[in-house]
Amino acid sequence: MNGMSLRAAARRRPGLLFAALVAPGAVFITIGLLLPLLSIVVFSFWRTESYELYADWSLNNYFTLLSEAAYRIFFLRSLVTAVLVTLVCLICGWPVAYVIARYGGRYRLLLVLLLAAPFFTGIILRIAALQALLGPIGLINMALSIIGLNPIEALMYTQLASGLGLVYLFVPFMVTAIYLSLVNFNFELLEVAKINGARPWRAFVEITWPLNWIGTAIGMILVFIPCLANAVTPRFLGGPNATSFGMSLSQQFGETGTWALGSAMGVFLFLASLLAILCIAPTIHLKRSGFTGMAL
Amino acid sequence: MKKAGPAVLSMSVALGLLYVFLYAPICYVIYTSFAADIVWPFPPSFTLSAYSDLFSSSLYGEALSNSLKLAAGSATISTLLAGAGAIGILRFRSRYRTVALLTFVAPLFVADLLIGISVLAFNARVLGLPGNLLSAMAANAVQGTSFGFLIILAQLVRYNWDMDDAAMVFGAKPFRCFIEITLPTIWPSLFGAYLISFILAFNNLEISFYNLGAIATLPSVAWGSLRFGLGPELFALATLVNGFVFVVFAVMYLLMKSGMVKFGYRGQ
Repeated sequence: MNGMSLRAAARRRPGLLFAALVAPGAVFITIGLLLPLLSIVVFSFWRTESYELYADWSLNNYFTLLSEAAYRIFFLRSLVTAVLVTLVCLICGWPVAYVIARYGGRYRLLLVLLLAAPFFTGIILRIAALQALLGPIGLINMALSIIGLNPIEALMYTQLASGLGLVYLFVPFMVTAIYLSLVNFNFELLEVAKINGARPWRAFVEITWPLNWIGTAIGMILVFIPCLANAVTPRFLGGPNATSFGMSLSQQFGETGTWALGSAMGVFLFLASLLAILCIAPTIHLKRSGFTGMAL
Repeated sequence: MKKAGPAVLSMSVALGLLYVFLYAPICYVIYTSFAADIVWPFPPSFTLSAYSDLFSSSLYGEALSNSLKLAAGSATISTLLAGAGAIGILRFRSRYRTVALLTFVAPLFVADLLIGISVLAFNARVLGLPGNLLSAMAANAVQGTSFGFLIILAQLVRYNWDMDDAAMVFGAKPFRCFIEITLPTIWPSLFGAYLISFILAFNNLEISFYNLGAIATLPSVAWGSLRFGLGPELFALATLVNGFVFVVFAVMYLLMKSGMVKFGYRGQ
C-alpha cells in the first residue's frame, strides 16, 4: 500500500465507520421512540368508540383535556408534586454527593454505587418495601399501636406519602448526577478562593454551585420527568384524593380503553416535560462547567 | 486528611440519613421475609415458608422465566447497539456526532409510562403487532441502550485509540482490530452495560406492562399482588431481587476497579 492511498483511505473511512457503528443504534431509537411518539400525536386527533380508534380528525380530545376540571386538577397535582419532589431531592442530594465526591477518598465509588443500587430493584418492590415500613400495618405504625400511641396518619394513604415514595424512588438519580459533575470539579479552586479571603458559603455560591450546574440541571430533569408522569405511587401510597395525571393516563389505555384521549394526555405530558428541558437546557454551559467527559 | 469541620460533619450525617432512608425498608423486608408473622415479626421466629410458597407457585415460576428471557434479549440488543454507538462516536470524527449523542441519550428524558403507551399504540395500530415478549424486549431495549451507552461512554472516554490506529496502519481490518486490540481492554464496560440493561429490563414495570399482552413478568405479578396488600411471597421476592441486584453491583464494582487500572496503563 503506498502512502497516498493509505491517507486517502484514512480520510474516507472515518465517516463510513462512524455511520456503520452509530446508525444501528440511532435508527433503533428513532423507530422505538420517535415513531411511537409521533403515532400518539396522530392518534390524539382521532376518536375512540367502544375500544376502537377512528380517524375522524378533530381537536375534541384536547378540548376535553382543557375544559374538564378533573384533568386540570390531576395535572396541577402532578406538576406541584413533581416540583416539590425535585426540590427535596435537590436539597438531600447536594450535601450527600458533595461529601462523597470531596471526602469519599478511595471509598467514593463504593459509596455512590450503594446509593444508586436500590434504584435498580424496580418500582414495585421498592414501593412494597416502603409500605412494609410506613404503611398502616407497617413496622412503624404497628410499633406505635403496641406502645399505645396513635399511628402516624400523615403517612397512611395521603399525598404526602405518595410524594415521599417519589423521593424514595428517584433521589438516587439526583445524587448520581451531581456526583458525576463533582468528580470532574477541581476542588483546589476552593482553596484559591479561601486564600483570597472568601468565606466557605461565598465560595460555594460563586464557584462550586455555578461550575457544577450541569450536574444539578441534569439531576433535576431526571427526577422531574418521571415524577410528572408518575402513575404508581398514588395508586399504592396515595389515598382516594391522590389521582395523578399519569394514573389517569394509564387508565385511558387500560380500563376505559379511550386511546385517543389517552394519546392526547400523553402528548400533553410529553410537551410539559419538553418544556421543562427547554427551560433548563439554555442555562447549561458545557465549557463553563469545565466538562471533560464523564468519570466514575 | 483535613480535620472534619461542622459543615463536613453535618454533610456526613445527611449521607448517613439518606442511607438509612434508602436501606431501612430493604433491610426490614429482608428480615421479615424469614419471619413467621409478617405483620409484627417480633420476637423473631424464623421460617422459610414464604420462600417455599414463592418457589412452589407456578405463577411466579412462569413470571420468572419470562422476566429472564425479556431481560436477556433486551440486554443483548442494548449492549450491541450501545457499544457500537459509543465506539463510533468516540473514535471517529463526524459532523453528526452531536446529533448521534443526543439521539442515544434521548430515551432517558422520556418517562417509562410514555414509552410504554406510545410503543403500545404504535405496535398495535400502526404495525398491527400484538403485545408479546419480542415487542416488550424491543421497547425495553430503547431505554437500555441509553443506559448502556452512558456506561460504556463513561469508561471509554479515557481509552487511548493510538494502539488501534497502529494496528490499522499495519493493515489489520477494523473487525480484527476490534477483537484483538479493543475488546480485551473494554470488555468490562460492555459487561457492565449488559448487566445494567439486564436488571433494568428484568425489573421494569411500566414499559413492559403495556407491551406484554397477557404475558406475566415478575414486576407485573408483584404489581397484581400488591393491589391486594403485602403478602409474604412479596417479601421473599423482594429479598431475592435485592440480593440479585446487589450481587450484580458487587461485580460491577470489581469490574470498575479493575477496569480503571487497565485504562490507567493505557491513558496518559
